[in-house]
Amino acid sequence: MNRSILTNPHVLIAPAFLLAAFIILWPLFQIGEISLNSVNRFGQLKGFSGLENFAAVLSDPQFLNASWRTVVWTVGIVLGTILVSIPVAMILNEDFHGRGLARIVIMLPWAVSLTMTAIVWRWALSGESGMLNSALRGLGLIDENIQWLAQAGTAFPVQIAIGILVSIPFTTTIFLGGLSSIPDDLYEAARLEGASDWQIFVSITLPLLRPFINIAVVMNTINVFNSFPIIWATTQGGPANSTDILVTYLYKLGFSFGKLGEASALSLMMFALLLVFTILYVRLAMRGER
Amino acid sequence: MALSRKARRSIVSWLLLSPLIVAVLFPFAVMFITAIKLATEVLKPTWWPSAPQWQNFVSMWEATRFGAALWNSIYVAVLSTVLSLLVSIPAAYALSRFRFTGRGFVQQFLLVSQMLSPIVLVIGLFRLLVALKMLDNLNAVVFVYATFNIAFSVWMLQSYFSTIPKDLEEAAWMEGATPWQALRRVFLPLALPAMVVTAIFSFINAWNEFVIALTMLRNQAGYTLPIQVFSLVAGRYTVEWHHVMAAAFVATIPVAIVFAWLQRYLVRGLALGAVK
Repeated sequence: MNRSILTNPHVLIAPAFLLAAFIILWPLFQIGEISLNSVNRFGQLKGFSGLENFAAVLSDPQFLNASWRTVVWTVGIVLGTILVSIPVAMILNEDFHGRGLARIVIMLPWAVSLTMTAIVWRWALSGESGMLNSALRGLGLIDENIQWLAQAGTAFPVQIAIGILVSIPFTTTIFLGGLSSIPDDLYEAARLEGASDWQIFVSITLPLLRPFINIAVVMNTINVFNSFPIIWATTQGGPANSTDILVTYLYKLGFSFGKLGEASALSLMMFALLLVFTILYVRLAMRGER
Repeated sequence: MALSRKARRSIVSWLLLSPLIVAVLFPFAVMFITAIKLATEVLKPTWWPSAPQWQNFVSMWEATRFGAALWNSIYVAVLSTVLSLLVSIPAAYALSRFRFTGRGFVQQFLLVSQMLSPIVLVIGLFRLLVALKMLDNLNAVVFVYATFNIAFSVWMLQSYFSTIPKDLEEAAWMEGATPWQALRRVFLPLALPAMVVTAIFSFINAWNEFVIALTMLRNQAGYTLPIQVFSLVAGRYTVEWHHVMAAAFVATIPVAIVFAWLQRYLVRGLALGAVK
């Protein structure tokens, strides 16, 4: 028998587990405690208040607006990303001249911090001197400058478009992994049978890509739901809170308005929602395993 | 002469990808062109600078306090990467080599912590640092980053470790090597590429992180690059955009190049991890 700490899995796991438990469970416990107390803006607890904080959040019209916008934000970005990434991955999976370069370019947004991306777009989208307006006017596509981020009607769609752009690399990566797992002879056999490209896509590629699409949907949903920098660094939820989603609303509640009790209650509700997503993910991943 | 099949496919592929490629490269172009514009030209709606101002990159360094923020970013990213690898490698090794009680629980715990972004915990994390009197302390940020990287690192490492046959180590044990020798001579050399790749991704995650730094670092002396650049833009009446873009460019390009070079390893790692 080898008696060594190297063969004792519990010892090997312990440092990672203890660190994660301390820095994740302790704050979670704190949030739970604050959410059930009335609390002043300095974080001092002023006594048990039951579910008052939860009720205050749920009855805040701002919360309802932000929730609805979070749904639009998440569904819009996830759906848009999947729809773009499938054809992109299929093209990148074929052999063509310059494929390596094309892959590198398409993966680039992944490497850049969302904060920097958002700041660059904030500048590029500026109404008077933004380079997007200059470019569009130069191409003759618009006559008047568009105030992209200063009006609610364009700010949110533009933010969703940025969200799609930065989610494509990760999603395409997942799909490339999926496509490379489909054996070539399946395609050859289908071609010999006289199947059209569309038939091959619908009856071979799509079904075999299915587990990867499931994973990409759930993981993107979680990432996008949690995504803070794009909105914070472009509009900080403005103009007039018209681009607030739950994470930016949460941040304002906690750190701008000092409503720590309500912010904690909201955190817990979001945590519960994320748990549901996680369970969904585990079930999908397990199905892939079988 | 007719084009070969591959040449034709290349043209079609590039044409189909071109809208996306334009959209990806557009912000880089904006960043670069603004960075080399004359200060007085920045607000004019023209695309090209009349003469490229390379010295903007020099004046930016002082004007944006780039050096201090760069040092803070390097400090936080390097230490958090080292810390998260130090605890993740043994954990991933245990998960890939042994069946033990609590294995399922550990995996589920890691999965949940992977799903939790720091933003949902930010109030609690803030209180934790206040209680420990570690607000405004870069080392506290190191610990938080390392922790939120553990799940990803263990996941990546485990999927690679599982591809290294266990027989190799067992053969070494048979030959009379201690587990430590077997690990060092047989396992670690084979696992090294996986560790390097994981380390680089942890580094990039820490390099780019925003919410934790924004919340926990209140004093400008401790700002990391994303927060420093953000502070030059947010709530300012006048923004020196050519300096901001020069800073964003210098902070972004080295990391982007390393990442672009490494992304093919991710295809394998993520695909293995995601569906295995």
